[in-house]
Amino acid sequence: MNPAIKIERRHPFEVMRLKRLGCLHQCRLSFMRILTRRMARENWCFTRHLFDINDKGVGRAIYTAHTTERPYSLVAFAHDLPDEMRSDRVIAQAWDATFALFDGIPKPDDIDRLEQNVPFQEAGRLHESELSMSRANRSVRLWNHVTDALAQGKQPDIEQIDEVGYLMRTTAVYGSGKFGTADFETISARDELQAPFQAEMLSVYLIRAFVRDLAEHTASIKGGANATRFEPALARRLGIGNSTGLGMAPFLVHHPVLFNNWIMVREEAIARVRALETANNEECDTFHNMLKRSLLSVKQWRSDHPVQVEKLKQLKADIHKIEEFANRENLQQKHPWNRLMTWSANTLTEEGQEWLASLILEPYGELVDGLASCMSDSNRDAFTIDGAMSVQEARALIKESFGWAIGIDWSAKENCARAWYVSEEKLEPRLGERFEEDIFTDASNDFEQPLAPARDGIAAYKTLEQWDSKKTVAEFLLRHPEHRYSIRRAQISAHTPYGEIHDNTISATLLPIDMLRAKLSFFGATHFDPRSDRWVRIRMYAGAPYPDEINEQNADLWVYPEAAG
Amino acid sequence: MDYSLNEVELIAKRATRGAGYVWGMAEEAAKATRWLCSRDIDGGSELARLLKRELSQNPGKHIPIDIKGNWKGMEILCPLMVGAALSDCTVRLKHAPIVTGRIASPAILLPFGANAARALKCNISLECDGFKSITDGIELSAPDEFPAEVDTVSVRIGDMLGNLRAHRTRAYPAQEGWGVLETLADKTYAPATEQSRLLGAGAGLSDND
Repeated sequence: MNPAIKIERRHPFEVMRLKRLGCLHQCRLSFMRILTRRMARENWCFTRHLFDINDKGVGRAIYTAHTTERPYSLVAFAHDLPDEMRSDRVIAQAWDATFALFDGIPKPDDIDRLEQNVPFQEAGRLHESELSMSRANRSVRLWNHVTDALAQGKQPDIEQIDEVGYLMRTTAVYGSGKFGTADFETISARDELQAPFQAEMLSVYLIRAFVRDLAEHTASIKGGANATRFEPALARRLGIGNSTGLGMAPFLVHHPVLFNNWIMVREEAIARVRALETANNEECDTFHNMLKRSLLSVKQWRSDHPVQVEKLKQLKADIHKIEEFANRENLQQKHPWNRLMTWSANTLTEEGQEWLASLILEPYGELVDGLASCMSDSNRDAFTIDGAMSVQEARALIKESFGWAIGIDWSAKENCARAWYVSEEKLEPRLGERFEEDIFTDASNDFEQPLAPARDGIAAYKTLEQWDSKKTVAEFLLRHPEHRYSIRRAQISAHTPYGEIHDNTISATLLPIDMLRAKLSFFGATHFDPRSDRWVRIRMYAGAPYPDEINEQNADLWVYPEAAG
Repeated sequence: MDYSLNEVELIAKRATRGAGYVWGMAEEAAKATRWLCSRDIDGGSELARLLKRELSQNPGKHIPIDIKGNWKGMEILCPLMVGAALSDCTVRLKHAPIVTGRIASPAILLPFGANAARALKCNISLECDGFKSITDGIELSAPDEFPAEVDTVSVRIGDMLGNLRAHRTRAYPAQEGWGVLETLADKTYAPATEQSRLLGAGAGLSDND
């Protein structure tokens, strides 16, 4: 590897558009892959301390990951859920299974305490010893097929497995202090949890193992001596599903430093690979191999949502174009990855461009993977406003992020048609129609959340324009505290070029699923299947080795499926 | 009951907004409350005591008229507004102390003094009506109890830290104050309606397969 040209990271104007963010794909820096690589590298051990599930599928189980420093345990509760209560939206009240990730190995009284709380999810209460809380429901269709087949001593049908992709689907995976769990700050100094969402990703990884075991257990109850267990390769095809609603969208706006770090790290990785002068045979082989394998993944990717249907069609066409262009001859020329990326910007859709951008990172773990340590938010003082900054500087910063929004008529209905709010129902974020819904038309209420940084930034900008450029931000904010929110964001943006979305988050044409996908892609999710413009289903860990089989050979590239049998 | 510091921050932000402050100030209140709780001071109760005064109903009367000389308001000063201004005017402390007029809940100034201490990399002392607190931005020496209001607070560079307050990773708020915050936070939540469920969350489509 010989970086010979300087390639800049792509500009935020290009990257931070919602349409592009809504086309992001997993990559080497996805949180699931960061975790599984570490598991293998550090030779984590996994034990099943307890599996006490009765003939009705009700009971509890404990799965422990022994890291180099300390153990973490998934405490799982399996329930007998009537079909009519099975809804995996956040508004549900009961689930097929509920979980907590315990910091250590729980004692019997810890398990009893968790059993009094975890099954009730938001209505329960956790301690600092718990790092996450989550729940999952069966895909009834696949669950029945799989357990019936195994009970009869047969392997489930591979096509049905690929069609659904998971036996259980999680919804919220709560952590970071929610419902009493430990704050991230209390665990962030631990190497194994330093990267974002590692506790949550570990929870889901262990949930997947539990779900496989529960399905085999159910089959053995049904089939007795006739029952068999999964062929390991078949079980690996199963991921864990997830249904995600609007709760994720505000997260990206509320955490500009964190979001910046994720995007910037990926952009840095892409720039590093683009700067390489040559690609050797092994690197080309890895690229072509992953190209081929990822095509299988795209073929299994199903959605009925018209937006995603169209995107998938385009992605398949784009992949064929890449196959043609990225032949060995082209990759043997100088700066092959830069040529490929430049070509893609003029040839492919954004879905294809981002798919390619993730894929070119695959041969270069040594160049890319270390960036994972830069993805958390460790800048504690970013929040504090620098009051000595001049009005002129503040104006310039706002213009840098939101210059595109200065000319927008923010009073026009189509530009502010939506309003974000929090419902008293489980305190979940929602997106309302500002000019249609009663909750907004009643002027005595103001339920709108601060999730329109472009609109608010421009309002601050216009007020700043009326001030003497040499005055300080401190003087300005004393008279205009209403712009404190935007001034803070502007100052944060000075160090976080990818922290702001360069689009209108309250427009009539906003697709919140673009925001959800941006976040979920960094988790490492695949098979995005929007169910409306406000919630999306995904797969996690499909293809990954289970705890009893993970090693350095299979811990990373599992996300790219291999041809069956 | 104990709470995570993120829970403290969230309820403080929503309660301050529910009490009528703008979002940028609600964020300040949230961070300040969290900072106090993490130094073993019941920041939730301090904030509740302040918000009950409803100073946000007429905010212009509770901010410094001028920040050039002593900081006096038309009426009692709001420590959130003053604290934010103090944090914004950190550089002034290099030249002279900042002295306020009558001010509510002076404990709420401590986290803002800590901002100044971190920015200036020095100790900051806050002295008022016979009690004194000192912080270097991370550590804090301060009494257990704080008055509901004082006639003046003097903020200056210097002084040595005394007995340090313990650091906490959880908050143990008095239930009364927490209840006040919850009631105020409730004002920021929209009622649960079928219209909200269908339009707002995109519910209505089966997710059961």
